[in-house]
Amino acid sequence: MTVRWDLLLIPSFIFTFVLLTLSQTLFLEGSFYRDLGLGRTSDEFDFSNYLRAFTDGFYLTTLWITVKVSALAMIGTLVFSFPVAYVIARMRSRWGMILLSGIVVSTFITIVIKVFGIIIIFSADGWLNRSLMALGITDAPYTIIGTQEGVVIGLMYFTLGFGVLTLYSVVQTIPYSLEEAAEIHGASRIRMFWRVILPLSMPGLVAGGLMVFNMCMGAFTSAALLGGGKVFTLPVLIQRTIMMEVKYSMAGTLAAVLLVAVILINILSIMVLRRMRVARGVLA
Amino acid sequence: MMKTTYVNIVMRGLAVAAMLAASTLPAAADGKFDGVTLRVATFGGSWKESLDATITPKFEAMGGKIEYVTGSPQANLAKLIAGRGRAPFDVMEILDAQVPDFMATDFLQKIDLSKVPNTRYLADFQYNEMMVASWNTQETICYNTEKFAELGIPAPTTYADLAVSALEGRISIPDITSGGGLANFAGFAYAAGGDGVNIEPGIALIRSLKALKFWSRGGETVTQFGSGDIYAAVVHAGWCVRAKNAGYPVTTTHPVITDSIKGVAKEGWLGVMKSSEHHEAAVWFINEYIAEGFQYRAGTKNGVMPVNQAVISSLSADPIAAEMLETDPAMIAKALRVDYSKVNVSDWIDSWNRMVTSQ
Repeated sequence: MTVRWDLLLIPSFIFTFVLLTLSQTLFLEGSFYRDLGLGRTSDEFDFSNYLRAFTDGFYLTTLWITVKVSALAMIGTLVFSFPVAYVIARMRSRWGMILLSGIVVSTFITIVIKVFGIIIIFSADGWLNRSLMALGITDAPYTIIGTQEGVVIGLMYFTLGFGVLTLYSVVQTIPYSLEEAAEIHGASRIRMFWRVILPLSMPGLVAGGLMVFNMCMGAFTSAALLGGGKVFTLPVLIQRTIMMEVKYSMAGTLAAVLLVAVILINILSIMVLRRMRVARGVLA
Repeated sequence: MMKTTYVNIVMRGLAVAAMLAASTLPAAADGKFDGVTLRVATFGGSWKESLDATITPKFEAMGGKIEYVTGSPQANLAKLIAGRGRAPFDVMEILDAQVPDFMATDFLQKIDLSKVPNTRYLADFQYNEMMVASWNTQETICYNTEKFAELGIPAPTTYADLAVSALEGRISIPDITSGGGLANFAGFAYAAGGDGVNIEPGIALIRSLKALKFWSRGGETVTQFGSGDIYAAVVHAGWCVRAKNAGYPVTTTHPVITDSIKGVAKEGWLGVMKSSEHHEAAVWFINEYIAEGFQYRAGTKNGVMPVNQAVISSLSADPIAAEMLETDPAMIAKALRVDYSKVNVSDWIDSWNRMVTSQ
């Protein structure tokens, strides 16, 4: 008798279909009708919402800001998390596991608390600003609240733990013996990093980077709280469109634009990476 | 003999206590609302505390239970629309800006006004068979008197008075999606020579207040006064009262809008959801809401202007309320009140969003 393991997929499929596909399909369908106010939509199928989203400078700027802060947060997260992941992965003492556990636990903390921590640190009378002014580094309090820099820092804070955990497993797949071999042949640490560790980590870095980027593109809390109503990313604008204006169609359109943008950027990134690898292979 | 006297005293004391308890809870224990759970969509924090201190115990004494669904009226309206009128609450706080929306929909049931006798303390325009007015806010400029004195800035009388370099980055005004957002946006428009249709002058005035902060919940301003992040906020007097009660050196000024308009008012209303099956309990709640007990507490503790005319005059006896709120009826009548049926709120929000993004 053959065991039908594939049947185990059915509950997950139903769960996903009902909660995700069905609800998103409703929003997607709604995006092709005009808003009439109070959640009502027209009966005529048209593309006016999409036309507006792709021709109106306001929506294009919002899309650009979303991509920009997400890309910067992704780069920052990779830069900060890779050394941490590398050090922990190469640790031979039990401290490696303890540090890794600490990072896992830090991802359990709700983002609201994390973000409010940042807000407290950067308050005008907070210890950071008092110290900066006491040292004569700044004349006036420095704040990141309500700035794109603040949103990037908030997004990095949100994704740093995930970045370390992803890259930790990547570094672990690189045999330590390769580093030893490079060292024996006289490679410096920097040369070994550029010629051995980085190329071997690249697929994992790209996958981890895209994961972080995707998380940032959809992140609402960090952008809303640290943006302080002055930085509109698409998720923030979608929330405002639904909650304040009750324009489900426009919100559905913006959600579709966000989804398509994320998918396109992922596909393009993978295509570019493949071409780079092919080119490198030809050159080699 | 001694023991008998002692027992008598105790028994008499208990009897007096029982009578007192009965007199303070006139309708107590009559079981009128046995098993009824009334869900009220209202504000959280100290607002809910005031409801819990004044109305909830009376309802519970009649066998019922009140559950407060806390959140902004905007979020509650969104829930209502998403549920196609099926609301997860019986009574809802409604903002004046939402009144045209409710009039255009079928979300409310008619209120039996004969069961809301406290409407006698309201002006005629403050109640109808669909909604009953519940509070007013006085939108003010709340400012830190010590910081203004330290920086040599005179007490502001208009929004434009805040456009000084020493206040850059130290002013907070409501985000348009917040409760006071639309009313104050109108205040800026009128103060700058525009009106409900011509809002561009207001946007220019907001731009002139450089490096603004936008608050989405009034409580943020109290925190920011405490942390030193802001020296002034455009906010309703209630948040200034709460900041003062928290120990911060703040006071209010009711901004001059035009020669004949001073201050900005926002109105709150209560309505009973069409889907509610507890009409009697809902109208009882509304009646209590506009009664002296809650209205006085909301005025003194929350800094919100009562709708109950009998309570307004008594507010002047409270030192903080007297300082922060305008209690003179002639002056109250001068405040800007927006007729939201004549403005395009969607355009306002769109203009606001573009202003923010282009900064």
